[in-house]
Amino acid sequence: MLQSEVAEQDRVTFTRRPWRRRQNSLAYTLVFLIVAYLGVFILFPIAQQFLTSFSNNVVGVDNVTWVGLRNYERLMEDEDFWFALQVTLTYMAFVVVGAVSLGLLSALLLNRKFRGRNVARSAIAVPWAFPEISAVLVFIWMCNPTFGVMNVFARLFPGIEQNLNWLSDPKLAMPLVIILSIWKAFPFTFLVILAALQAIPREVYEAAEVDGANRLQMLRHITIPEITPTLLLMAVLMSIFSFKQFTLIWLTTGGGPYGGITETLVLRIYQTAFRFFDLAYGATLGVAGFVIVLGLTLLFVYAQQRQDRARRS
Amino acid sequence: MTAYKLRRFGAGVVFYVLIIGFCAVVLFPVYWMIVNSIQPLAHGMQFPPPLFPKEISLLPFTTLFDSYPVARWLVNSLLLAGMTTLIVLALAVLGSFAMTFLKWRGKPAFGLLLLMTQMLPEALVVIPVYAMYRNLGLSDSLPALSLVDAAFILPICIWVLKNSFDSIAEEIYEAALIDGCSPLGALIRTLLPLSAPGLVAVSVVAFFYAWNEYLFAVTLVTSPDSRPVAVGLASLKVMLDTPIDRVLAAATFFSIFPVIFYLLIQRYIVTGLSAGAVKG
Repeated sequence: MLQSEVAEQDRVTFTRRPWRRRQNSLAYTLVFLIVAYLGVFILFPIAQQFLTSFSNNVVGVDNVTWVGLRNYERLMEDEDFWFALQVTLTYMAFVVVGAVSLGLLSALLLNRKFRGRNVARSAIAVPWAFPEISAVLVFIWMCNPTFGVMNVFARLFPGIEQNLNWLSDPKLAMPLVIILSIWKAFPFTFLVILAALQAIPREVYEAAEVDGANRLQMLRHITIPEITPTLLLMAVLMSIFSFKQFTLIWLTTGGGPYGGITETLVLRIYQTAFRFFDLAYGATLGVAGFVIVLGLTLLFVYAQQRQDRARRS
Repeated sequence: MTAYKLRRFGAGVVFYVLIIGFCAVVLFPVYWMIVNSIQPLAHGMQFPPPLFPKEISLLPFTTLFDSYPVARWLVNSLLLAGMTTLIVLALAVLGSFAMTFLKWRGKPAFGLLLLMTQMLPEALVVIPVYAMYRNLGLSDSLPALSLVDAAFILPICIWVLKNSFDSIAEEIYEAALIDGCSPLGALIRTLLPLSAPGLVAVSVVAFFYAWNEYLFAVTLVTSPDSRPVAVGLASLKVMLDTPIDRVLAAATFFSIFPVIFYLLIQRYIVTGLSAGAVKG
């Protein structure tokens, strides 16, 4: 980041022209416009959340006052919060690992040249383009305990005689939500990893072949090292995707079936504000979520720079 | 056939079986949605349901518009997504122009701001925005909703468009300036025509973000009359007596457009979507 800034500066002095001053003020005008726009809809609301988290603002309570760190003390002792955090991390871990490895496997499979490759490629990309709402509706129907097609497949396994209750079964709800999320997310990692695979120069493989390397050795010593930065970037992007995820979870299980076993932090925030009307505590949970987002953003910057460096060298 | 040829042929068959099987599993939910929306309801409402449609009926699609205010939802969604696209296009063009062709201090900080916005869960912002809109009397307004949608998808669109600006040689821009264009004139006359695919890609991303978006829409829009399709569809889920064939017909109808457009522009946005970089 800093290096490129220095390079930029060099170029600026080189291209000094009469209109430079005007151009400079134009840049700041444009950027100000965008920052102001984002300010109203994103920065200002977040600042407001910070303030609210120090108050006792609950819908219906008249005298709202500052309560200092009381909400944060509550947060530390709130078992539901820690449980939601645990659920969030479990969900994130499975979605990240599942989406990245499935994306990698399908990209490796489709990296060969064969007839119908473009058709297969588009087919796998479909879930990425598919609206979340539609995915939820058909998924719920597939999981219907009476008529759902999932039971047709489940009964193929020995030992399953009864129709399963899928989404209302506490043991199955979380795995199902994770599978749905991976289904929606992995095509994106597939597309990006495939692009990275195709960017590896063919000569490297040819040289390895001359040296007598077999396919497995090429995979281990050429392919995987070449795309490691991309895999890292995808892992970070998928952790952001899963941390943000609201619609897929909310509309399938609503955080249930009971005891909040699929209730991630994002759902908990929404519930606290819109079901329990506890705006102050909802804001406090929001601040906790914001801290996590900051951490993920820094991780993303790191992953991005690693990939950049790898590309340049 | 020699043994070698036979082995290669066998490997080829295994490979195709693997690919077809994998694609079938991935596409099954989509297939199931379509099947259940084009067969008479009775076939879906039995166990085990037939895996292939025995009879085709377009009744779910034709009755859809009579049973639910789908036409109204569609109009709302088109308005919402159209407005979002216009706002995003205007701001993304200016933003990525400043990021690519103008020289100024603070680019890394601006990039970081965009990145953070892009990472932010909608659920963190929806509560204060809801309160703000209620105080301003803006709840239940589609233009107000499109402003929020636009803010959330803007950063990604700036990256996507910057990606397409990056591929234009800087000399072209400088030549336009030397020919007497103002910076904005050069943007409109030379840069925009050269980045048409990028502009299309950004429009598709913005349009279908608003088209698909659920959380802001369900929270900020309160009256059934101003519901976009995403909210209308999700409301069918809650009604237990809704005939599933019509729900899935609606879902099919709703999904066709994003799937077609996303697949068409896929190669222009994949790099941009993963490149939200702080490259300064």
